[in-house]
Amino acid sequence: MSDDNNMHDDPLNGLKNANTPDPRADAKQRSLAAGMAAFEAAQKKTQTTPQGNPWGRRLTSIIASLKGIKIMDLRLPIGTAVIALIALPLGYQLYSSTSMTPAEVAVQRPAIVTPVKEQAKTEQRVEAPTVTAEPVAPATEPQLMQDETASSTLTRQAPPDVGSPPTVSGKMAAPAQSMAASADAMFESEMAMPAPMPSMVALPTEPSGDTFTSFDEQRLKAVADEPVSTFSIDVDTASYAYTRRMLEDGFVPEPDAVRIEELINYFPYDYPAADSAAVPFKPTMAVYPTPWNPKTQLLQIGIKGYVPTVAEDKASNLVFLIDTSGSMDEPDKLPLLKRAFSLLVDQLSANDTVAIVVYAGSAGVVLEPTVATDKAKILGALDNLAAGGSTAGAEGIALAYRLAEQGKIEGGTNRVILATDGDFNVGIDDPEALEDFIKAKRDSGTTLSVLGFGQGNLDDATMQALAQNGNGNASYISSFREAQKVLVEEMGGTLDMIAKDVKIQVEFNPAVVSEYRLIGYETRALNREDFNNDKVDAGDIGAGHTVTAIYEITPAGSGAELIDPLRYGQTNETPTAGDEIAFLRMRYKLPDSDVSQLIEVPVTPDVVYGDIADVSADMRYAAAVAAFGQKLKGSDYGGEMSWDEIEALARSGRGADDSGYRVEFINLIKTASLLKPDTDRNPCDTPASGEVCQ
Amino acid sequence: MHAAVTELYAASPIDPRHALTQALVVRAQNGDVEAFGELIGDHYDMIHRTAWKWCGNRADAEDIAQDVCVKLGSAISSFDGRSAFSSWVYRITLNAVRDLQRAGKRRGRHSDAYAEVTPDEHPADQEEAATSRQLWAAVRQLPEKQRDAVLLVYAEELSHAAAAEIMGIREATVSWHVHEARKTLRGLL
Repeated sequence: MSDDNNMHDDPLNGLKNANTPDPRADAKQRSLAAGMAAFEAAQKKTQTTPQGNPWGRRLTSIIASLKGIKIMDLRLPIGTAVIALIALPLGYQLYSSTSMTPAEVAVQRPAIVTPVKEQAKTEQRVEAPTVTAEPVAPATEPQLMQDETASSTLTRQAPPDVGSPPTVSGKMAAPAQSMAASADAMFESEMAMPAPMPSMVALPTEPSGDTFTSFDEQRLKAVADEPVSTFSIDVDTASYAYTRRMLEDGFVPEPDAVRIEELINYFPYDYPAADSAAVPFKPTMAVYPTPWNPKTQLLQIGIKGYVPTVAEDKASNLVFLIDTSGSMDEPDKLPLLKRAFSLLVDQLSANDTVAIVVYAGSAGVVLEPTVATDKAKILGALDNLAAGGSTAGAEGIALAYRLAEQGKIEGGTNRVILATDGDFNVGIDDPEALEDFIKAKRDSGTTLSVLGFGQGNLDDATMQALAQNGNGNASYISSFREAQKVLVEEMGGTLDMIAKDVKIQVEFNPAVVSEYRLIGYETRALNREDFNNDKVDAGDIGAGHTVTAIYEITPAGSGAELIDPLRYGQTNETPTAGDEIAFLRMRYKLPDSDVSQLIEVPVTPDVVYGDIADVSADMRYAAAVAAFGQKLKGSDYGGEMSWDEIEALARSGRGADDSGYRVEFINLIKTASLLKPDTDRNPCDTPASGEVCQ
Repeated sequence: MHAAVTELYAASPIDPRHALTQALVVRAQNGDVEAFGELIGDHYDMIHRTAWKWCGNRADAEDIAQDVCVKLGSAISSFDGRSAFSSWVYRITLNAVRDLQRAGKRRGRHSDAYAEVTPDEHPADQEEAATSRQLWAAVRQLPEKQRDAVLLVYAEELSHAAAAEIMGIREATVSWHVHEARKTLRGLL
């Protein structure tokens, strides 16, 4: 047993006896005075706000993300005057967050309230990936602000004078006047930061690092209760790339960062492809024994998207929308992005066009739509991109879409490719408005893909949301090799959508299967009724993409059931369709159609294999990846499969592995086994780690 | 969400101090300066203590405590009472710690300087104190979330649920961070 179990020897218990000295009285007095000054300032502001009840203000969560660059959620009022007022502090923020900032100027904040106006309009959102922060306008134009504020939804406003600034400490460098003013404004915005706790919980964005959507593992379901399972396909691979990077850096990724379906779908599988673009894919199925549970079986469903022949080369109209904020100034961000895009440009031909728009650090069109064969010009423009800069570009996304629409190619691929390390201050501040905007553009034929770079700031949740709304893919580019995979080997899949809104529904035959569990796809679950509703959006599949879904099924009467049968039984003895195991339905829409097509295939005993050694290498490999993902996440159902067994299974399914991804994965299993040894258990099983742990 | 909120109420017993704090919060939200003064006066020691535990030196602890007071002043009106006031104060304090340390990093000071240069640390009079100092230094060097989780759970002796509330993450994720922290510390302790 590990030391975790022993309360008495737990070294962390030593932390209880902290020896913290009492605060000094003068420091306390200073702080209290500063706090009171801030309080009074805020009060005066409230009093001048003419109407609105104070409870209205309570709904405002004003969480500024403290990382200087996270300004995506600024809720700009419409007035241009306010935009102008925001530009200066924003500039300061960007300035202070680049590596070029002189040390003294960087981040010392005056601890006082000085004449600053600020407005904070906020709102709580439950699923929105970002935080709402707002505010900041320096005191340069008090009169103007006054007017502006009177008519807007300001919640707070500092009075023009709150005494002379007592400083926090003596360390403050004295910046130029304007800088000081904007620094004050920034500080104000940070003061605005605290928000009601419940909304904190709801806000997934944490300024301190990468963010992921939380989700719970798919539960085991009884066929008698819920015979039908419905989900949307997911061809994203970002989760694998991120997981790999974390493991290679020596960290176990957060459980929420591991999405098993994305791990499985990262790898190409050799499923038979469909014959024509009209029916763009066909399913390949197998049922074989579960490697981690001798009593259950896995039902694996694989589909591969149709690959158009070279003669069908579709024209592409691409607009790169590139984040050039200060935080992109790291080797694995902008420089990697440049090399990645030059790879992509190499793949394009004379009927393709490329344009480049930048946002955040600098703003505007860097390259007007240019024929892809003019490589010198495109690569020159890419080379000239630099991270950092002093002006915020607010028009990024609208500009990118405008260019895409100008050069729109009917029947071709019209796509905006957003590349970022997590700053989504693309010009539309409300995440919901942004999603709506992207949806509307998608419906008019321009799609969106998102490429994530770097770590520490990565906003995976937003990336996924945007790409899903834009009918594109979200990929995480951790290295040049990954860029090669996404932008060269899978370029067809990335750019050439062959079917959209692909949904899968599996109905199990209660006579044959008693329980089932879908592995992964937690974030893609659909309601049963959504399947036939063409209005419900789902995942898209590109040329040559493979998608794999795996169910763990418990055969009826095997004795391995985890759910007890109902004492009073089922009333209806449904006529069963013989020995069919399940019935698979898939719905998809052709790229330019709004009406879905249906594919129906029964899962018959023909596809059942008695021994896992008999199934194809691809199938074994996918099962190994699923086992890996479950073990890494600490799944409740992963069983007792050891890392060695997973590795052996992956090796047996390695196949030809021309691209080398599978060998890389096998090495990753070794890394994971060191970081999270077999004996390492879920913290929730460990008594020492917590009293309550559901 | 509702469940979480209910739980919170259930978890915080109504004791006199709690009631007093609540009354002060309400008065402060109605614009009563004295009530606000009393409120931060009551909480200053806790803020300072927390800041000290997180940073380990006086200068930073005082800076942070002052930052937090100022933030409270401007933001008290947006506190909605759905969580305990003290949780809210913790959250603000932790954010202030992070700000200060990031600012320090951006100024080119290495983060570990915080852990090693602890001039105000009480003198170690015996071996036990030295071990303790080593432990604190190691914990302060953990990645932010792991450090926050460990200190909230062990130094502040809060439940995982309360720590989750403060950190704005799920309870299971707190457990996970603590677990990871143990692994990180394994070689050091």
